[in-house]
Amino acid sequence: MKILNEPIKVMVIFHPNKGLESGKIEPVKFRLEDQVVRIQKIQKIYEENIIGNKRIVFVCQHNGKDIYELKYETDSKTWYLFKK
Amino acid sequence: MIVMHIDVNSAFLSWTAAYEQQQGIDRDIRKVASVIGGNEQNRHGIVLARSILAKKFKIQTGMSLMEARRQCPNLLVVPPDYQVYVRASKTLREYLYKFTPDVEVFSIDECFLRFTDLNKEEALSLACKIKEDVKNIFGYTINIGISKNKLLAKMAGNFEKPDKCHTCFPEEIKEKLWPLPVEDLFMVGRKTKVKLNRWGIYTIGDLAKTDPNLLFKSIGVYGHMIYAYANGIDGSIFKASPPIKSVGNSSTLKFDVIDTEIAHAIILSLVEMTAWRLREAEMMCKVVSVGIKDKDFNYISRQKKLPYFTDCTKDIYKNICALFDKNWDSRPIRQLGVSVSGLEFAKFQQLSMLKDKNLLKNEKLDKVIDSIREKYGDTAVIRGIFANSELSPILGGYPDDEYPGMSSIL
Ligand SMILES: [Mg+2]
Repeated sequence: MKILNEPIKVMVIFHPNKGLESGKIEPVKFRLEDQVVRIQKIQKIYEENIIGNKRIVFVCQHNGKDIYELKYETDSKTWYLFKK
Repeated sequence: MIVMHIDVNSAFLSWTAAYEQQQGIDRDIRKVASVIGGNEQNRHGIVLARSILAKKFKIQTGMSLMEARRQCPNLLVVPPDYQVYVRASKTLREYLYKFTPDVEVFSIDECFLRFTDLNKEEALSLACKIKEDVKNIFGYTINIGISKNKLLAKMAGNFEKPDKCHTCFPEEIKEKLWPLPVEDLFMVGRKTKVKLNRWGIYTIGDLAKTDPNLLFKSIGVYGHMIYAYANGIDGSIFKASPPIKSVGNSSTLKFDVIDTEIAHAIILSLVEMTAWRLREAEMMCKVVSVGIKDKDFNYISRQKKLPYFTDCTKDIYKNICALFDKNWDSRPIRQLGVSVSGLEFAKFQQLSMLKDKNLLKNEKLDKVIDSIREKYGDTAVIRGIFANSELSPILGGYPDDEYPGMSSIL
């Protein structure tokens, strides 16, 4: 896997604060160069807080094998493709 | 009572290093000879923090970058990022509040914690947990010193770095504090060291055993103070919040200023940063001051008390300019400084009828400018006065805040 940390356009579902998926943030697909990458499965979600700069990390699967790591930076409200 | 001293190891360098790693930048500036240092094009080019390897090249904090490069030609120089530092400092403090409400801020990267319900063993194991947690959560290392008072805790925190917890309880002074060179004692500077050495005082232990009256005769009250410190005695009280007493910025200028208009422009750029930091801290001020150093190094500082609290750039700027105009004797200026004090949390601020009518509008404007700057960088919005001029729009930014305890009293 390669570290990119590239700001990207992501389509996301923000689930409301009730019900089964309460408060969940769910990236659906994102644009990488001229291609749209659809997220099949989110393997893992966790938060990092390096020097107080909070990022929510999504380890995502595409095509059954490709792993993409997306990060949502809360202060700047920016999505990054961190690793692929 | 237990007091802990928390100190971020080479704060600016560690914070920048951790930030770079978070951004996926493929290097670790902690592992090479590196410094955090200002812009070299002007007189700001000094070392603000250094890596352990840079220290091996005898590079000192405060040294000019030119000199530092002479000591180590391959030195990596990384510019500071104050926004990152202010956030890192703030989050660390918020985290520490989980353990005790008694947090006293000492500087941007140091604070004291007080506990009334811990014994020595519990204190040591809690300190080790805090140290490890900070490393794991925030990505940098700290030192923690543990004792019964602030002075001894601070001394303990300095014993061996980085990433260590040390105790220095009163019964450990003889063994741990006294063998250290006297200049390692808090508040003993280079000048005092020379004097003390001349009198045959080389270690903290030597100082502790000197006749305090002799010290008093030659260096006054200060002599009594360092004598008490050498004996581990610190009569200061613990001052939990508000953490910051004043916020300020000063700048050595690229050229000597002889013109009021330019001086005002520089004041504005200093006030921009100061007011931004004031608002970041969610505080307001009641006292504004200006410091002027002329080319012969004569220094004056004047302050003015306002009849209301403010955090508005234009308001602070206007008052400081008035103060400047009243006190400047037209001699060429080498350095200008502004600061605000008499701070109060913004939420306690009362609306005052004395503020001028535009003020509320300006406060809104400032908030908008702050948010744009945070998003697009400091120079995204430049007041008209700076456009097409040689002056940099936001000067300073070095955290020279006079935190409680930066003065001679802990
Ligand atoms: Mg430090």
